[in-house]
Amino acid sequence: MTLPLLSLLVFTPLAGAAALWLLPARATRPIVALVMLLTLLLATAALVAYNPAGARFQLVERAPWIASLNIQYLLAVDGISVLFLPATALLFIGSLVACWNVVREAPRLHYSLLLLLQTTTLGVFCALDTALFFVFWELMLVPLYFLLGRWGVTAGSAAAAARYFLIMLAGGIPLLIAFVILASSQAVPTFDLMALLAAPLPRSTQTAVFLLCLLGFGVKVPLVPLHTWLPQFALAAPGSLTALLVGLKLGAFGLIRFAIPLAPDAALDLHWLLAGLGTVAILYGAVGMLAQSNLRVGLAYASICHVGLAVLGLASYSAQAAQGAVSLLLSFSVATGGAFVLLEFLRQRTGSTDVNALGGAAKTMPLLATGFLICGLAGVGMPGTSSFPGEFMLIIAALQTHTGAGMAALFGLSIAAGGFLSLYRKAFFGPISRSTVADASDLRPREWAVLVALIVMIVGIGIYPGPWIEVVRPAAEAWAVGLAR
Amino acid sequence: MGSLTEIFWNEQAGLPLLLALQLLPLLGAAVVFAFNERSTAVVLGKVFALGELLLGIVAVSHLDPTRPALQLAERFAPLAYHVAVDGISLIFLLLTALLTLLMTLYGMSRGMISPGRLFAVLLLAEAGLVGMLVTVNVAWFAAFSALELWAVVYLLRRWASSPAEIHALARFVQYQAFGWALFAAGCIVLGWGHAEATGGIWSFDLFDLQGAIPVGKFQTAAFYLLFYGLAVRTPLFPLHGWLPNMAQHGLIAVAPALMVGAKVGIYGMLRFVLPLTPAAVEYWQPYVVGFAMAGVFFTAALAFQQTNLRRLLAFAVVSHTSLLVIGLFSLHEAGIQGAMLLAANFGLAVTGMWFIVGFVFRRTGTTELHELSGLFERIPFLAIAFLVFGLAIVGMPGTPGFDAAHLILEASIDKFGALSTVATALGNVAAAGFLLWAFQKAFLSQAKAGSHDVDKTLPMEYVVCGIALAAMLAIGFFTEPWLFLTETASQAAAARFAR
Repeated sequence: MTLPLLSLLVFTPLAGAAALWLLPARATRPIVALVMLLTLLLATAALVAYNPAGARFQLVERAPWIASLNIQYLLAVDGISVLFLPATALLFIGSLVACWNVVREAPRLHYSLLLLLQTTTLGVFCALDTALFFVFWELMLVPLYFLLGRWGVTAGSAAAAARYFLIMLAGGIPLLIAFVILASSQAVPTFDLMALLAAPLPRSTQTAVFLLCLLGFGVKVPLVPLHTWLPQFALAAPGSLTALLVGLKLGAFGLIRFAIPLAPDAALDLHWLLAGLGTVAILYGAVGMLAQSNLRVGLAYASICHVGLAVLGLASYSAQAAQGAVSLLLSFSVATGGAFVLLEFLRQRTGSTDVNALGGAAKTMPLLATGFLICGLAGVGMPGTSSFPGEFMLIIAALQTHTGAGMAALFGLSIAAGGFLSLYRKAFFGPISRSTVADASDLRPREWAVLVALIVMIVGIGIYPGPWIEVVRPAAEAWAVGLAR
Repeated sequence: MGSLTEIFWNEQAGLPLLLALQLLPLLGAAVVFAFNERSTAVVLGKVFALGELLLGIVAVSHLDPTRPALQLAERFAPLAYHVAVDGISLIFLLLTALLTLLMTLYGMSRGMISPGRLFAVLLLAEAGLVGMLVTVNVAWFAAFSALELWAVVYLLRRWASSPAEIHALARFVQYQAFGWALFAAGCIVLGWGHAEATGGIWSFDLFDLQGAIPVGKFQTAAFYLLFYGLAVRTPLFPLHGWLPNMAQHGLIAVAPALMVGAKVGIYGMLRFVLPLTPAAVEYWQPYVVGFAMAGVFFTAALAFQQTNLRRLLAFAVVSHTSLLVIGLFSLHEAGIQGAMLLAANFGLAVTGMWFIVGFVFRRTGTTELHELSGLFERIPFLAIAFLVFGLAIVGMPGTPGFDAAHLILEASIDKFGALSTVATALGNVAAAGFLLWAFQKAFLSQAKAGSHDVDKTLPMEYVVCGIALAAMLAIGFFTEPWLFLTETASQAAAARFAR
């Protein structure tokens, strides 16, 4: 028996959270930093240990959990999830830097919640038992609720937290029902994803499962019209939290991992629904972005738009699309997450991320402005950035199978790019009119380090995407084969 | 048809455990009462409560959950004394013992007048509850129920926390007396039926009655009398009118915990109503479930209207009780098992919330939501505990509510179809809504200027909430033994009904 790498990875942050309460309060931040670096190390180790040419699911850990319901403690990764692990670890480090000097009230509680959130997020990516997945999925809400409700940046943050919590809780119901239907439709009830994938269901059951999953994950993605929580959340939450929430593409991951493979025939039948929802999200997100004056809300709409592209591409159910979707989502994790972290730096300096309160910010903060531009361009899929390969594959896939929707998507994406540049121009160029902007200082070394890491990843992967895409490819092909049976 | 069988205590244990379980709190009550005003009374009260819990654990260790028979049985014919338990009774028994222990700990620092008498009455109430849980004789059940109700009335009268108590007390007595009378009438119908069938031998024993189930409209009458008799104390919508007033004006935490924390109403339905009136249960099932579904939403809507935290919790109880009834009346083994686990989970969670409300009341002297603010800053542990209990009620993973809700959903899909299941589950989200709303108002909002200076969490409060939280999370992440304990008993209960 080898080292239970995934369990170690998932529960290291939780152990760190417990350690915070045992050690003196002044050691809090160094411990959190240490734990997050250790988590990154473990996530990288998992990536190294994963063999793209090997079995579909690797690093499997299996133990009975609730035997009478046949619920197992089952962790494993495949090419689709393995890259999300280091991305998650990185994003949490970025989030930590963004809130490093900001959390003054009850810091120990804040950081233990952050670490708890990391454990549940990593759990979502690793869990291969649908019940275990659901446990991690729902437990994410608790730290998020407190982090937003207690450390929000606007007066309405408690209301935004409750709204988010309730919408997500309501979204959990269809998911749970879908998993229960799936489990009880087997000869021996099971929640094991590998077993469920191997046993096809009758078509009518599949349709129910697919629609329920689409609803459950659609809330998190978010797909229009289930997106109403996001703009409010982006406004009320500190950037460190928005970076995590918007950066982690959990909803889309759920669609790829559970909704589509578990109900393949229904997914193929309802391809128009997925493509339609994707296209609507792209157009709605792009147009919504044009109407914003706040950079954080603008980015939230941009994220609706981009995940829409992933969903549209997925509707072609080809290996290429799955590969493109995974690499695009990963790239957005880094780019959007990074952009939100940079916006948090900006907000800490100027007190606002509204373009009307900014103007000319590039003059006093050139490094921040450059970094934000690069992240933003990656967000709109500029060639040479990490998003381009994935976006390219997705658009090709969409144009081949849903030509009209693909054209509309192209149109929407160009609007989004224009929207981003327009917001960027208003915020960073032009004359300086506010004293807050004039007095602001540029990035500190600690923030610098984050920025450099981001740019290296965005540009590095953009120019040399081969190895990353290769990690995903076998799993994406297996995914498409599973659908085509 | 699963006919009843039993295994006597001498095959399983060295002493009559169930008798000991019933006598220990009675003995405790007598001893504590004798020490009345002395501080030893408080210590002894806690010792007896702890002893009862340990004895309950011993009983669990002697039970064989894989056998469908009722176990550890004891009979004493001249008094028609007949007790026996299965896994489900023992879950409720452990819950009752745990809640009583927490109540004795909770009472500790209150500086109450005559703590000895308070503890004596509390232990009497526990004896009543335990008696109801172990007996298999409907008349004994009714008698123990009367004992427990008397204890609660005495508590309310003597240690009420608000001048409006007389009104609340009158309402409480009216409702409970009426409910008790209905149940007693149901018992008489059953006993009469037995006498008719056997030529004049009256019996209230479950084992005898099982062989002489009343037919036709007599069964319907028995069902309605027993069901609504228990529904009053459960309390089930629309018979819940006594609870909000009692919760608002009565002794905080202790009285509601005794009445609705211990969940004997639901237990009574499972133990007596389901086996003794099976045809009526099947016939009236859609109506009962329909009412319960309406109840989930109606009371959730009422909960949103409340301005007092204690009343709000009372409506939360009524709302989730409806869910239990839906699970129970799915007449499906998973649904019954889920309902029983969920009942225990709710009992623990709601009592925990009531304790916290009591702690808040001691600090602020009010439970009006608009007068509470910013408590999170001062008592973060209690705030988080309150939220975790609230989440347990909603069935959050990691609490016992999750697996239980899981089972009820499974049964509900099977029996009532996906649509009603989704509706019910949404009712649960509504419950999450008002609990969160209350949490925000009282705990998370900005502390108002001139608001009460709130003391930090006391060690006793850490102990009470810590025990409840630890029990909750431990069962939540390690549900297997509890599922195992209740599985065979639930199958036996569901076996009477067609799937």
